[in-house]
Amino acid sequence: MNRSWWRTTRVIAGRELRTRGRSRAFAVTTAILLIAVAAAVVIPALLAGKSKPSRVGVVGANPASMTTIVTEAGKVTGTKVTVMPEPDSASAEAALRDGSLDIVLVDGSEVLIKQVPVGGSSSGGSLPNAIASIAGLTKALPPGSLAGGPQLALPVRGLIPPGASLTRRLTGLFTSIVLWILISTYGQVIANGVAEEKQNRIVEVILATVRPIQLLTGKVLGMGLLSLMQAAGVVLVFLGLGSAVGSSVVHGAAGGIVVAGAVFMVLGYAFYCTAYAAAGSMVSRQSEIAATVVPVGIPLIVAYALSYTVLYANNANAFYRFLGFLPPTSPIAMPVLYAAGDVPLWQVIVSAALLAAGTLVMARIAALVYSRSILRTGARLRLRQVLRG
Amino acid sequence: MPSLEFIGLKRRFGTVVALDGLTFSVPPGQVFGFLGPNGAGKTTTMRAVFGVVALEGGEVRWDGEPVGEQQRRRFGYMPEERGLYPSMAVLDQVEYLGRLHDMPTQAARDAAHGWLRRLGLADRESSRLDALSHGNQQRVQLAAALVHEPDLLILDEPFAGLDPGGVDEMSAVLAERAADGVTVLFSSHQLDLVEHLCESVAIINHGRVVAEGKVTDLERGDHPRLTVRVAGDAAGGWAAALDPAIGKAEEVAAGVVTVALEPGADSQQVLDVARAAGAVELFSYANRRLSQVFRDVTGESV
Repeated sequence: MNRSWWRTTRVIAGRELRTRGRSRAFAVTTAILLIAVAAAVVIPALLAGKSKPSRVGVVGANPASMTTIVTEAGKVTGTKVTVMPEPDSASAEAALRDGSLDIVLVDGSEVLIKQVPVGGSSSGGSLPNAIASIAGLTKALPPGSLAGGPQLALPVRGLIPPGASLTRRLTGLFTSIVLWILISTYGQVIANGVAEEKQNRIVEVILATVRPIQLLTGKVLGMGLLSLMQAAGVVLVFLGLGSAVGSSVVHGAAGGIVVAGAVFMVLGYAFYCTAYAAAGSMVSRQSEIAATVVPVGIPLIVAYALSYTVLYANNANAFYRFLGFLPPTSPIAMPVLYAAGDVPLWQVIVSAALLAAGTLVMARIAALVYSRSILRTGARLRLRQVLRG
Repeated sequence: MPSLEFIGLKRRFGTVVALDGLTFSVPPGQVFGFLGPNGAGKTTTMRAVFGVVALEGGEVRWDGEPVGEQQRRRFGYMPEERGLYPSMAVLDQVEYLGRLHDMPTQAARDAAHGWLRRLGLADRESSRLDALSHGNQQRVQLAAALVHEPDLLILDEPFAGLDPGGVDEMSAVLAERAADGVTVLFSSHQLDLVEHLCESVAIINHGRVVAEGKVTDLERGDHPRLTVRVAGDAAGGWAAALDPAIGKAEEVAAGVVTVALEPGADSQQVLDVARAAGAVELFSYANRRLSQVFRDVTGESV
């Protein structure tokens, strides 16, 4: 692969980028995606603005001072609060569980909430943390307790073990939808482009001077660049609008999901683009393309369909965890698992590495299928037939 | 000047033998006709030059070297099944193919302009290809094969589907390229055209060469025939005096005697015999037409 090789490949990628970028289909998908993203960011923010006041239960001997603490915390965080005195911890916990209370302040000892978000109780700005801080500051410290270090804020404890917040889950769902749409849309476009070149026989003119692998590389790079620009546009709108409306989706731990989603978007595209190109090369007419292209996208559909079982459950099942490491399904499954808080970061990295390795394997197989199929006209080719040679 | 050589090309498709040790060479700087019945292996041979078909044996040489990627950059190709991007603008398309042949962008654009103007498509440069008529699409295809000023031009059925004006234009371009030192190889079934345009041809059948050489030599054949008429001798009686070692009368029609010359015999000796009998009114080679040669060597009609 010398300089001339790359120069020619760049020419091919450039044509792909210009032709597809100027197409109406590209403009339409970009518009739909951007509107969807804008809606996903703005609508929750609008709803959040109309949220009901937080109901805070207080347990202890001095309800008046605790009410002052809670009201102060409400002012600091810009949240409306309603204070409800509770007779004892047991009844307060029961009220928390059944949802009639959002937060309970137990005088001088702790702040109780139903569930601590995955981002941790330390993520600043939230009402429970503000209450814990202010209550901690105003608490008279017994003389001997300094030995254990100055503990200013009260601990925030969740009744239910920490799970992923709804925000994170929704971000995960949103990420998986965008990933699925982008990868399968661009995959289809690549497959169509390949089949078009084969059907109208321009491949013969091009391959008279260019190697099949160059044509394949140029096509997937050009389209990849285009999809990357589109994805970057989506993320920019997400971040820009998100910070403008002060969306918790952008500020919270969900940002990490978007980053993971972007990484898996790039790797997932890389994994699938060559497979889609190979699928397109196996038909002689564009009208036959569904027969070879649909099977390529099935792992993504499975990962996407099953993502609901993870996003709406407290714990991912073993099968979905397995899908999270399998290169064909991991582009969607792993961001979903991460969003649901079911896997630690290191597993996300391991999965990404596996996907990168899988991409190389897939590229080799796809290049073989593509070079063998692209000039063979006639009936639709079967994969086994192509691989046999 | 480099020449193109096909040496022992072999290729089967399933049970069909497409190329069966095909061997011939194309002299440089000529318009060379590549003939044969349908299915004789012409398209497979041309594809083999570009590596679009893999060979099971033999090789194609250019300038004495096996053809590789570097040489192919300097070749131009117009395949039998025309292929360009239907929705791409004509100028962009020709420029793109120039750039794929390693031309810098501006040079490719200039050359594309030049060829499209030369082929009468200057006002259609920004049209989509599929908005053009069949003949004009063919012109674009020719421009795409010529844009990088190739040293070797290979065209599979370039005249198919062209109107008489298009045929003249295509012929003129091919002749002009050859005059510039380009080696031009094309296949065609229009043998009158080939006769007119080509200095040499190769005729193949079942993947083997069955005749090759200069058109004039092929038309004359191994047993050249002379047509001779002597004034006042309607029965062609003068021919009785011919030495059988030189030739003999085959046929007499309205005083015109067709004399079959023996290989290597001197036609002037026939003329001497005829002049001895009277005034010679007609004396010329009775060439077979190329189409007759074709039928004779392939056993098939055109």
